[in-house]
Amino acid sequence: MTTNAMTTNPMATNVREAALRPFGKPSRLWWLAIVVLGAMVVGGIAAWVIQLRDGMGVAGYSDQAFWAIYIADVITFIGVSYGGAVVSAILRLTGATWRAPLVRLAEGTAVITVLIGTALILPHLGRPERVWELLAHPNLSAPVFWDLVAVSTYTAASILFFTLPLVPDMAILSAEHEAQLGRRRTTLYAFVSRGWTGAPRQRTVLAGALGLVSVMIIPLAVSVHSVLSWAFALVSGPWWHESIWAPYFVVAALYSGVALVILVVAGFRRGYHLEGLITERHFVRLGFLLATLSATYLYLTFADILPGAYVGEPSVAAVFTELLTGHLAVYFWVFIVAAGVLPLLLVAMPWTRNAWGMVIASALVAPAMWVKRMLMVVDPSTYNNISGTFSSYHFTWVSITITFAAVAAVPLLLMLLFRVVPLLSIDEIEEMEETSTGHSPSEPSQSAGRAESAVGMAGTSHRAAGTLGVLMIVALLGLFGVGTADPAQAATGAPTITIQGVEVGGKVQLTATLTGANGQPQADSAVEFSFSTTEFGTPARLVPLGSINTDKTGVAKLTLGGDADHMYLPTTVGPQEFVATFTPTTADAKPISASATVNITVARSAYTPAPDKPLAGVGKGLVVALFAIVAAVWFTMATQVWRVRRATRGVRKPTTSSA
Amino acid sequence: MQDRTTHPEEQPAGPPPGNDPDKPQAFSRRNLLATLGVTAAGGALAMVNYRDDAQAATMSRTASAIADAKAAKHAWCMVIDLRVCDGCKLCTLSCQQRHQLPKEQTWIKVYPMEHEGQTFPMPVPCMMCEDPPCMYVCPVGSTFRTDEGLVLVDQDTCIGSRACMAACPYEARYFNWKEPPPVKKMPLPPTPQMPVPQQKGTVGKCVYCADRLPNGELPACVSGCPMGVIYIGDLVTDVAVNGLGETVVLSEFLHKNDAVRYKEELGTNPRCYYIAGHGQSLGAGS
Repeated sequence: MTTNAMTTNPMATNVREAALRPFGKPSRLWWLAIVVLGAMVVGGIAAWVIQLRDGMGVAGYSDQAFWAIYIADVITFIGVSYGGAVVSAILRLTGATWRAPLVRLAEGTAVITVLIGTALILPHLGRPERVWELLAHPNLSAPVFWDLVAVSTYTAASILFFTLPLVPDMAILSAEHEAQLGRRRTTLYAFVSRGWTGAPRQRTVLAGALGLVSVMIIPLAVSVHSVLSWAFALVSGPWWHESIWAPYFVVAALYSGVALVILVVAGFRRGYHLEGLITERHFVRLGFLLATLSATYLYLTFADILPGAYVGEPSVAAVFTELLTGHLAVYFWVFIVAAGVLPLLLVAMPWTRNAWGMVIASALVAPAMWVKRMLMVVDPSTYNNISGTFSSYHFTWVSITITFAAVAAVPLLLMLLFRVVPLLSIDEIEEMEETSTGHSPSEPSQSAGRAESAVGMAGTSHRAAGTLGVLMIVALLGLFGVGTADPAQAATGAPTITIQGVEVGGKVQLTATLTGANGQPQADSAVEFSFSTTEFGTPARLVPLGSINTDKTGVAKLTLGGDADHMYLPTTVGPQEFVATFTPTTADAKPISASATVNITVARSAYTPAPDKPLAGVGKGLVVALFAIVAAVWFTMATQVWRVRRATRGVRKPTTSSA
Repeated sequence: MQDRTTHPEEQPAGPPPGNDPDKPQAFSRRNLLATLGVTAAGGALAMVNYRDDAQAATMSRTASAIADAKAAKHAWCMVIDLRVCDGCKLCTLSCQQRHQLPKEQTWIKVYPMEHEGQTFPMPVPCMMCEDPPCMYVCPVGSTFRTDEGLVLVDQDTCIGSRACMAACPYEARYFNWKEPPPVKKMPLPPTPQMPVPQQKGTVGKCVYCADRLPNGELPACVSGCPMGVIYIGDLVTDVAVNGLGETVVLSEFLHKNDAVRYKEELGTNPRCYYIAGHGQSLGAGS
């Protein structure tokens, strides 16, 4: 791979030599990989440009599959960045010294993948050019806004966690190996490590800062995938609305993250011949971690599905039926085998419990976890909440190309990153060597496949999206049959009607008097009362209030709101017109009506707002608390940078002047 | 925006907002700047209002917010009388014609629903929830609720996250997955009340023809329904009317016909009521 020959020097020298290997003249294979991966990334960007031009429909989306591949990609890539948090932070806090050769690779992977995962939000959005609106006009009740807060905080912490240990490494390299660094790296290293002498006080400050960041990065990592899961769990959709989803997402992220760390470590171990530093035992230990998380994830999968499937609420039952025995079943059971059964077997059986076995397990887990995320997104997304039917999401070359571009970007950016910074944390490894006698490296094992090929997605069938023609709707004439006939006037010699209305004690009383054609009061005839409204345009519409039969004196009385059949009460103060109408039973006779205007003084809105939800007030306090926590985290991170810088400022090391 | 109540195909009734028709204004830099300033300020205020409304409803409903709701002159709602719906889908077509939508965007959609072996048609527009889940999850506050209870989308700020589509239990939201088909020339630029033409990469939905309501005009689906299934109503003034001109006292109509709200158990407090009956005969002589 490199121009440097393999060495059999003692460990300390070996570490520095190994760390410098990527800085040598790149091999042809390195260039080939860069070109191929770069082409894939460029292809993805081109596909995204086409998607921007033609709309998201070209990625296979539809109203019946509105969330699909890109959100699954986002979850997957941000998820795999957890590997860095696990290997570095948890192992640091638990004092597992074997982590030392892996931490730089793991942390680098964390930074790269979280950046790629964040970038994948852009193709997920319909209008990515407006993403600034998230900062300009955030809606504080939206989970997606808190996604942004959590992801950006976690990204900053990851970068800090990656950068802080670089200070002593770069100091060592720029002081003692300047010749092998080259001009640009020397300038960079001198800048980053300026003032670092390795004095005890500096070491104490740096160790304190790293300890603090590694404590912080664990809850931050938990928060990121919790909030991501709440983008689903905070809606009422079947299978999304699950309380288990936040821890479920976190375990999924840890699981796939460890898998990716194994793949990345295996790739760089092979590429730069680091077998002397990274041994079989590293892979087996990571494998045990993988197996633990695999078992936990299987358990959570069962715990996630059982309650909904058991109760059998229609929508939940439909979604689980689709998942377990329906159209998605093949993917689900492939996931169970690839990410559940096989990794556990590969770790359990002694003859596969080696670097190769762990790499195979990881190469199964990483894509299978993407499949699982796809299922979790697509199954409820394609379910119609009203008709109870499923539609399907179809992969297109655009969405596949963008996803593969993201996959290719991981090894590409890692290879470029470790051309710039040392891929081993020299200082930490040497420190471990000093404090312990050091375990002798085991024999170089058979090398593993390259990371980029191992992470490659498998088993995704590529179906072209159906051709969607732009269809103009046929303009049909709307039926505008609206219109109320004017009340007919009383004909001569016909019955007559009069109406009086008064407001007494806040109640409107309407009195209609009906006189027959013979001039006598007309009894036992139904008088229709109504009021007029201009709410729906002019001419005014009559709203029926109910009918009252006239008594012997030809009088019909209606008190508004008087009984269950006449519930209407005036809603606005001021003059309101009431109408009494009588429709004679004889043929050809036209309805007669009379109107009266009552000046309403007592009115009430018929509308009562819905009561507050029981916990509606909690949100405000929660938002304040969350902002306080986020501010404290950012402040702490800034403080740690400042402390490390201050510790290095006082001391000037005369020998580290760069040329 | 309130002036924008005419049919899209008609010319606007009045002059464009911002001009005083009585006073012909001499063109001057001062006038221009003043006009621009007023327009900008008005636009900004309108945006602030939207956000405030979303915020107020989102964070907690304060006493003043409830008082405001009570003071609102209208509380628009719909009543859908399933007893008379024959499933002709003219509501959908009228809506698509008015908003010049492609045929896959059915802002009011007629679902064939199964019940005891029978199939009955059920039109589903936006429910205009009083606690709209779509509004709460919108990351940029593009979905907002007017004081008259209409849940609308500001397509000028929508980032296309589709969180609202995930949140809506009524499948009321539609995304513009591609460039919308060209529309006839519109008298005014699109507004949340009359979002025509739609914008690619943003979400659209039923708006109850919010531009027509202040003018006393009926939504397209209401006037387009030949059976008088769909009523547009006002919970404040307690009246509702359908496309046949049948006017009812809203509260009494809902009460007497045992109106229900769809998926009441979700707590969204929809402002769309259904009167069950499935269009089949409920019994002899009825």
